[in-house]
Amino acid sequence: MTAEKNQNRKIVKDNDFDLIQAINSGQAEKFHDLVKRYEQKLYNFSLRMCRNPSDAEDMIQDTFLNVFRYLKNFRYETRFKNWLYKVAASTCIKKRRKSKFAPDKELSLDEFLPNDEAEKPDKVPEWAMLPLDKLLNEELSGIINETILALPKKFRVVIVLRDIEGFSTAETAQILNLSPSNVKVRLHRARLFLRDKLKGYFENDQ
Amino acid sequence: MTSDDHEHQHCLEMFEKLSEYIDGELDHATCDEIEKHAKNCVACFSCMETLKRTVALCKKVEDQPIPREFSKKLKEIIQNLPKPTSP
Repeated sequence: MTAEKNQNRKIVKDNDFDLIQAINSGQAEKFHDLVKRYEQKLYNFSLRMCRNPSDAEDMIQDTFLNVFRYLKNFRYETRFKNWLYKVAASTCIKKRRKSKFAPDKELSLDEFLPNDEAEKPDKVPEWAMLPLDKLLNEELSGIINETILALPKKFRVVIVLRDIEGFSTAETAQILNLSPSNVKVRLHRARLFLRDKLKGYFENDQ
Repeated sequence: MTSDDHEHQHCLEMFEKLSEYIDGELDHATCDEIEKHAKNCVACFSCMETLKRTVALCKKVEDQPIPREFSKKLKEIIQNLPKPTSP
């Protein structure tokens, strides 16, 4: 990715730059190439946000329709991928408002504080030391996905963008219109929520 | 967490910053403090390692393939879209 100054405006030239220029210059048929690049990633993002495959499909459809509609307005101020996820996250949040799953509650840091004596460990649990490949299997992946789905959406969207999609704190803040410190707070609580579930899973397993 | 008041305060401070520590978003001095504390507090060290492992597992979770039928449907929808007009 390179950046150059153009009339005092920063232009981000990423891997999608040429394709978007072509689409916006009249080659609308190339829009499908853009969809192909991102449909797989967006499908999984949507599944993690919506749970239900049919809701996820609706969400992707709406996202791409919005992208198609507003691509002319894309000003290359961020990577296209970031703008796409901004559209997707906003579509998803609107859809989730109508859903009954996972009520949108707060997560307080106090909930995750280990109890003074009851949980005082004398050593690091085995699951934190074993090689990742030995640990991660289909069952555990399922538990991680289920736990993420059980998070209230404002925490879920942050952990998905940061830890699964790999966006930085600054990028996530920009995608969700939040401050970086707000992203950090939500991410920490979401991770602690997931850690507690994993801890429970491994303790019951032993 | 240890029951000693002074230590306990350190534990709480560390607990709040663990994600930023894992993400490399803290300054050197704070990182040093956290590492020093974790060396002497098994509870905090354990907390840090289990959280690190949680993040690592999350990053490794695999994606599902997009259903072929849906991909085909998406292609059809895109192909039938009217050409956008300039604003």
